Amino acid sequence: MIQLTDLHKTFVVKDKRVAGRRRIEAVRGISLTVAPGEIYGLLGPNGAGKSTTLRMIAGLMRPDRGRVEICGVDAAREPERARALVGYLAPDLNVYGRFTPRELLGLFGEFQGLDRRTAERRGLALLEQLGLGGFAEVRMEGFSGGQKQKVSIARALLHDPRVVVFDEPTTGLDVLTAKAVLDLLRALKAEGRSVVVSTHVMPMVEAVCDRVGIIFDGALHGDAPPREILARHGVATLDEVFFQLAAGGGAA
Amino acid sequence: MRGAFLVLKKEYKELAKDRKTLFFTFLMPLLLYPLIFGMAGGMGDSDAASRAARPSRVCLSDPSGVLAPALGADPGHFTLVPRPGGDLRQAIRDQKLELALEVEPRAAALLARAETLTVTAVVDTSDESSRQALDRFKGLLKQEETRWVQARLKQLGASPQLALPARLETADAGDPGLYAAKLIGSFLPYLLMLMMYAGAMQHGIYATAGEKERGTLLALLSTRLPRNQIILGKLLYIFSIGILSALVNLLSMGFSVARLVASGGPAGPVAASGIPVLATPSTLGLTFLLMVPLGLFFANFILLGGLQARNTLEASSALTPGIVVVVLLGVFSMAPGIEKMAFLPYVPVLNVSLAIRKLFSRQANPWEYAVALGMTLALAALMTWLSTRMLNRDSALFKA
Repeated sequence: MIQLTDLHKTFVVKDKRVAGRRRIEAVRGISLTVAPGEIYGLLGPNGAGKSTTLRMIAGLMRPDRGRVEICGVDAAREPERARALVGYLAPDLNVYGRFTPRELLGLFGEFQGLDRRTAERRGLALLEQLGLGGFAEVRMEGFSGGQKQKVSIARALLHDPRVVVFDEPTTGLDVLTAKAVLDLLRALKAEGRSVVVSTHVMPMVEAVCDRVGIIFDGALHGDAPPREILARHGVATLDEVFFQLAAGGGAA
Repeated sequence: MRGAFLVLKKEYKELAKDRKTLFFTFLMPLLLYPLIFGMAGGMGDSDAASRAARPSRVCLSDPSGVLAPALGADPGHFTLVPRPGGDLRQAIRDQKLELALEVEPRAAALLARAETLTVTAVVDTSDESSRQALDRFKGLLKQEETRWVQARLKQLGASPQLALPARLETADAGDPGLYAAKLIGSFLPYLLMLMMYAGAMQHGIYATAGEKERGTLLALLSTRLPRNQIILGKLLYIFSIGILSALVNLLSMGFSVARLVASGGPAGPVAASGIPVLATPSTLGLTFLLMVPLGLFFANFILLGGLQARNTLEASSALTPGIVVVVLLGVFSMAPGIEKMAFLPYVPVLNVSLAIRKLFSRQANPWEYAVALGMTLALAALMTWLSTRMLNRDSALFKA
C-alpha cells in the first residue's frame, strides 16, 4: 500500500532570464493511494514531476512538505524501513558494468539485508524468469539496453518488496523486452504488490494500469481508471487526453 | 557501520574487476621506481666512471715552458691538444676540449726572480668534465707551487717546512646517519601528502561523480542502507586507496633507493647509514599514525568535491588544483629552517610535515606531535561530519 498526502517538492535552479536562481515547484500537493494488487500509471510530459514523485516514494528524495507512507511506515520517520519495502527501478538503463549479473545481485542482496547465497539464488531465479539466465556469469559492460533493464528489474525485486516503483520501465526497449516487462508487471499485481509505473507509452498504460494519474506542471490531474478518464474527457485514447491537457496548460 | 563496510566491499570488488587500473595503481609503482632509479643510478655511475678514467683535453699556451713539462708528465689526467680554430670559449662550450690555459710569456723569468706569475684558465663551469679539468689542474699547480717554494727556501738556506707553517686535520663529529635521515625527513612529508592525495583522487572521482555519471548511484541509494553509511563507505574507500597508494609508492621508492645505495651510488655511505634510521619501527609507526587523519582529511575533501560535481570532468576540474596546493604545502615543508618557526606546530597540515620531519631528525617534540595529531584528527572528524551532512542533501546528490 502506498499513501501519498499533499506532497510538495521545490528545486532551486539557475535561470539566466532572471540573472540568478529561481525556485521551481516540481511537485505541488500530490495525494494518491495505491492499494495492494493495483497498478497505478503516472503519466505526464517531460519535467512534469513524475520522476520526482517516484523518487519521493522510493525514499531517494525527501518531500519539502507532505507525507509518504509505505505499507503504514512513515518514510520520513523510518526511511530505511520504508526503503526496504520498496523496489525501485530508475529510468537510466545503467548497471555496474564490471560485474556479472550474479555478482551484482549478490552484492545488492547484501545491501538489502539478505545473505549472499539467498540473494544469488533469488537473483538467478529472477534472471531466469526474465529470460536472462544464460547471461548470469557474463560481465555487463557489453549488455544491450534490454539486458541491462532486465538485470535492473531483478535488482529492484531481489528483496521481495511489497511496493514496486518503476520509472519508465519500457523506454528504449524493443517490443519483445517491453512485453516481458508488461507480463512481469501483471505478475507483480497478481502477487498482491502495489505497483506505480511512470511512462510515456499510452498503450502500455491502457494495457496494464488499473488507475491512472496525469501529472501536469507538478499537480495531479485526474486519478481514475483509464476508461473513466477517457469518458470524462470524451475521447478515445489517452493520447488525446494528454493533448487536451497540454493545450489547456493542464486545466482541461 | 555494516552498511559502510558493504559499500567499501562493493568498491573494492569493482576495482578488482579492473585489471588495468589495478596494474597502474599498485603494480606499476613497484616496477617503475626500481627501473627509474636503476637506470638513473647506472647512467650516473657509468658517466662518472668514464669521466674519471678519461684525461682532460687541455690547450696550453706556455711560451717559457714552466708548466708544460708537469702537464705532459701526467698523461692519466691531461692530454695536451692544439688550440682549435675560431673562438676558444665556443670550442670549450662545444666540448672540443675541457680547459684552455695561458701562462704569461715571461713566466720563467718571473719564477727565477721569485716573483708571482699568472696563469689564465678558460673553463665552462656548467660542464662537469670542464670543472673536473680545472680541479685537476688546481691540484697539479698546487704541487708545482710547493715544489717552487721549497726550491726558493733551499736557495735561501731555509727549511722547506717554512712552506707549510700549519696543517689542518679535520674530524667529522656529525652523524652521517642522522644527516641522511634529516634529508629523508625533509622530503618524505611532501611525498606522503602528494601520493595520498593524487593516489586517491581518481579513484574517489570514479566512486562518486562517476557513479552519478554512469547512473548507478540511484540504485545504491534506493537500498535500505542509510545514506550516511553509503557516504562513509565511499569515504573509507577513498581513504584506504590513498593510504595504500602512498605505501606502495614509498615502499617501492625506499627499496629502489636502498638498492642504489647498496650498489655504491653517489650518495654512498651517507645515505646507507640513513636506512636503519628510516626503518626504525617507532619512527615508521608514528609517521603512519599521522598519515591516518591526514589521509582522512584528504579523502573527505575528494568525497565532497566528487559528490557535489555533476560529472567526472567537473569533479576532476574541481579537485586537480588540490594537487597544486598539496605540492605547494610540500615544497614549503621541505624548505630549510622552517622547523624554527614558532607558529608552525599550530598550522594544520603543515604541522604534520613538521612532526614527521622532526621524527626523522630524532628531534621529536611530544607536545608538537600531539598537537599535530590532535589537530589533524579534529580536522578529519569535522570534515567527515561536514561531508556526511552536506552530501545527505538532495541538492548534492541530484544535480543533473
